[in-house]
Amino acid sequence: MLPFSLPWKNKDRTPVDKSPQALIPRITSFWLLIINVAVLTPLYDELTPWTLAICAICFVWRIGIFLGKVAKPPRLLVSILAMASAATLLLITGQLGTLSALINLLILGYALKYIEMRQRRDVKTIILVGYFLVALAFIDNQSILNTLLLAVVTIINTGGLVSLYQGKTRPLDPLLGSASITLLSLPLAGLLFLVLPRFSPLWMVPDTDSATTGLSDSVRPGDISNLTRSAELAFRVTFQGPVPSNDRLYWRALVMDSYDGKEWRQNPRVKALQNNAPNIPNQRPRPMGGSYGYQVIAEPSGTHWLFSLDLGYSESRGVVNMSNSRLFALRRIEQQFGYDVTSYPNAIRDPMLSALERHTNLTLPPDINPRARAYGQQLREAFPDPAQRMQAVMERFAQEPFYYTLKPPRIGSNQVDDFLFDNRSGFCVHYASAMVVVARASGLPARMVNGYQGGEYNAAAGYMSVYQYMAHAWVEVWIPSEGWVTFDPTAMVAPERVLDGFDAVFKPEDSYLLDNPLSSLRLKNWPLLNELRMQLASLDYYWSVWVLGFNANKQRQLFRELLGQASTERIGLFMLGGIICVLMLIAWYTGLLSLPKRRDKLQRKYHKLLHALKRLGVNLNISDGPRTVAHKVSRFNPNWQESITSLANEFEQLEFNPALTDRQRKEMRKHCLQQIERLLILVTLQRTTPTLMGELPLKQGK
Amino acid sequence: MTVSTRTAHSGFWQRWLARRLPAAREHTLTHKGIFILPTGFGVFWLLLVLLLFLFGTNYQNNLVIGLAMLMASIFNTCLIFGYRNLAGLTIKGHWPAQVYAGETLAMPIQLESSHASWQVGLNYPKNRIAEITRITDSAVEVLVPVRHTQRGRMNPGRVRISSCYPMGLCRAWSHLDMAMSPLVFAKPEKPDDKRSYMDFHGNDDVNGGNQLNGVDEFSGLRDYIRGESLKQVAWKQLAQGRGMLTKQFEQPQGEAIWLVLPGADTELEKRLSALSYLVEYFSRDQHLFGLELNGEQVAPGADESHRLACQEAIALYGENA
Repeated sequence: MLPFSLPWKNKDRTPVDKSPQALIPRITSFWLLIINVAVLTPLYDELTPWTLAICAICFVWRIGIFLGKVAKPPRLLVSILAMASAATLLLITGQLGTLSALINLLILGYALKYIEMRQRRDVKTIILVGYFLVALAFIDNQSILNTLLLAVVTIINTGGLVSLYQGKTRPLDPLLGSASITLLSLPLAGLLFLVLPRFSPLWMVPDTDSATTGLSDSVRPGDISNLTRSAELAFRVTFQGPVPSNDRLYWRALVMDSYDGKEWRQNPRVKALQNNAPNIPNQRPRPMGGSYGYQVIAEPSGTHWLFSLDLGYSESRGVVNMSNSRLFALRRIEQQFGYDVTSYPNAIRDPMLSALERHTNLTLPPDINPRARAYGQQLREAFPDPAQRMQAVMERFAQEPFYYTLKPPRIGSNQVDDFLFDNRSGFCVHYASAMVVVARASGLPARMVNGYQGGEYNAAAGYMSVYQYMAHAWVEVWIPSEGWVTFDPTAMVAPERVLDGFDAVFKPEDSYLLDNPLSSLRLKNWPLLNELRMQLASLDYYWSVWVLGFNANKQRQLFRELLGQASTERIGLFMLGGIICVLMLIAWYTGLLSLPKRRDKLQRKYHKLLHALKRLGVNLNISDGPRTVAHKVSRFNPNWQESITSLANEFEQLEFNPALTDRQRKEMRKHCLQQIERLLILVTLQRTTPTLMGELPLKQGK
Repeated sequence: MTVSTRTAHSGFWQRWLARRLPAAREHTLTHKGIFILPTGFGVFWLLLVLLLFLFGTNYQNNLVIGLAMLMASIFNTCLIFGYRNLAGLTIKGHWPAQVYAGETLAMPIQLESSHASWQVGLNYPKNRIAEITRITDSAVEVLVPVRHTQRGRMNPGRVRISSCYPMGLCRAWSHLDMAMSPLVFAKPEKPDDKRSYMDFHGNDDVNGGNQLNGVDEFSGLRDYIRGESLKQVAWKQLAQGRGMLTKQFEQPQGEAIWLVLPGADTELEKRLSALSYLVEYFSRDQHLFGLELNGEQVAPGADESHRLACQEAIALYGENA
């Protein structure tokens, strides 16, 4: 019909929503391969073998799609696979635990969505889920290294989005874009992290179960396998005042007062109290007397046990002060948990003992350990004073040939008898167990306490580390008018164990490093490397205190230090100031702060003159060059001809003559400015008093 | 420039826009003309930030809370980047090529940025988006389509310049009135009865319809100019190896045909389409013709400017009344 038609005429029928922008750019496809590996690697531990297998298949398939070897899988296949996976996961949820099952489900969804994606929208979904998976990886491992790794993963994940919108095509461009955006966002993120209010958990969430501890809630002296040789950190302490000497560091965790001849365990009554702890949060009053304070950061242990010295009292959130002078966590400790304790070393623990408690702490299994019981009876007659009686037991450990060993010989059914009278060698549990039995047999209420003894002090950072291998057992005896008194029979056998720490007695290689060939504690023997180890430990400590342990208390403390007082207005102002600073930083980076350059003075004056001339009625256009202006002005008022022509000449020379020297240029500028000023005055006069101007002879400046 | 108002609400919006961003042939985007709001994806992003914050709170995990804060901060950074991407962009409108009703009009819009701007899309309301990946300080021109054109002076509305750079979390956009109302010619349609559109001013017998087809007299050959219609190419000469030549036709002067709008037997647009067709037809043949539309006359002529004058008169028919 017509000889011409527009080239896009035929495309007109393409619906708007199916425009090419909905497709996934190739660079994004490439980048998604990297993202997939990056996001799933930190979660490797959580994956069940067949989740891993499905992820691997999906990844290989995606590579195939990227290379153009295979087509996208049909929707039906993906749906069937997804449903089958979900069903299987549901079946094995019991074995995995709820949280682990949820993580696996999310990962499966992630992997299946990954092969199925077709549009930009799908890429966005995958990247959002990626962020959530990064968050899940933080639940299990919060070390500095893992955090750095996950920070890199986050940047890579963000790169996927950048690749969708930046339109650059070199493979690494998305990474650079994402890294710069992330780095620019860090200051504001840090600020928000500091000032945003912190809440306690809003509802119960499923726990992970992956922690180890050197303690257990039952101790069997006959069984040496439960002796922990772990070099892992148990908890860290910062003392507010001076650090107590090593022999005062008895970190109480568990009280074992039931003995059946084979096993020490916690009294069922105490267990019931623990289970009921959320309902009766405070089971004893704050003690009186001299005290010292410290903060403990417990490592994840999967238990509720907390650690305190002497008679500890804590007002931290989530901590219960149990009746048997212990602290108890309301939630299982699955992540680092920090709490404040005040200890009262001189306070009397339980000045009165109820009949029920007295009975519990005097009970011995009948018919076993006859020799030990006889020995107890004997002591009772020899030493009517309870304190002296216990002193006699302690001296017996010191005087008779007892040995401290981590590899004691086997003992029979009369555990205490065998140890006390035949073998005379064992470790803390044997000594504590024997002493409690003897004390009870002599008529004194006694119990075994489990916890940790000692600690490694890091002077540089000012905190103490307590490791799992420092697990210890000792004895508390109730003496009328003194309450519970601590005795450590092991200290009589191996005093250096208590005075100088565990390492003074044993070579680490023989004990806690036996099972840990790669532990950094091996470096203790080389001073320089040990220094390095301590530095790294300090870094880790600060990380724990200020990042992982940053809570509402720390926040208040920070505000007090920064602002003098933590009033709402000051915090508000601080936030506002901080946010403005951060926004300015980003704005500066993106180039928003570069102000428009001020025009050159000569140019400004020249334009001012043109403006004035125009108002006077000279017919000037914006596009007129200096010569045209001179011409028009001369016609308008011939008197000004010489002035304006010389100005135009010099103005043009300044603009277009590169041969001018700097000095000439300077002089010419000056002259130009003078001319302009004069003309401006003339123009103003002409406008205000036109009649006068007509009669005045023109003065020509040189 | 008046802006079409569809509803009362959009009317208010348009008036507000007209005050804030008055029509101009050239715009440079500043904070005055740039709007930013989160996209749907951006809203999901913020929801995820909230979810992660709750997640971190419930697990008392500061690192998860930190991740949430980082994502919130990234959102903020994207706002600034998105704004920066459009700020300093200079948009200049050019006159489009001629277009007939029903065809897609391509508005040439020239873009230039004081820095690099990425992934900018331009579109007129209810039209497809023309995308440019990168704009630098050297000007680029994009053709922004306007579909479903109608005869007459057309107001394409405000062109929307938008970008989701850098991460698709928020969209920065501006609505600019390019102060251009291009003319849309009537759609040329061959009439069934040509003669009713022609007035021979009494010389019916001399210049009858049969002569019309043969009015062209071959007057010679000249060098082919790129872009000329292939219909005029002298193929025989090309085959002889004499290169590409164009056949030239002339018709005797003085035999002007007058095109007129006949009485209302069919609907107006149909008749105007027929006139448009005839204008094209005679212009191609370089036949001398004039146009008379209800008293308004375009004096006879045969060149390109005459064709445009006639088409303009047809296009504007009824509009100035």
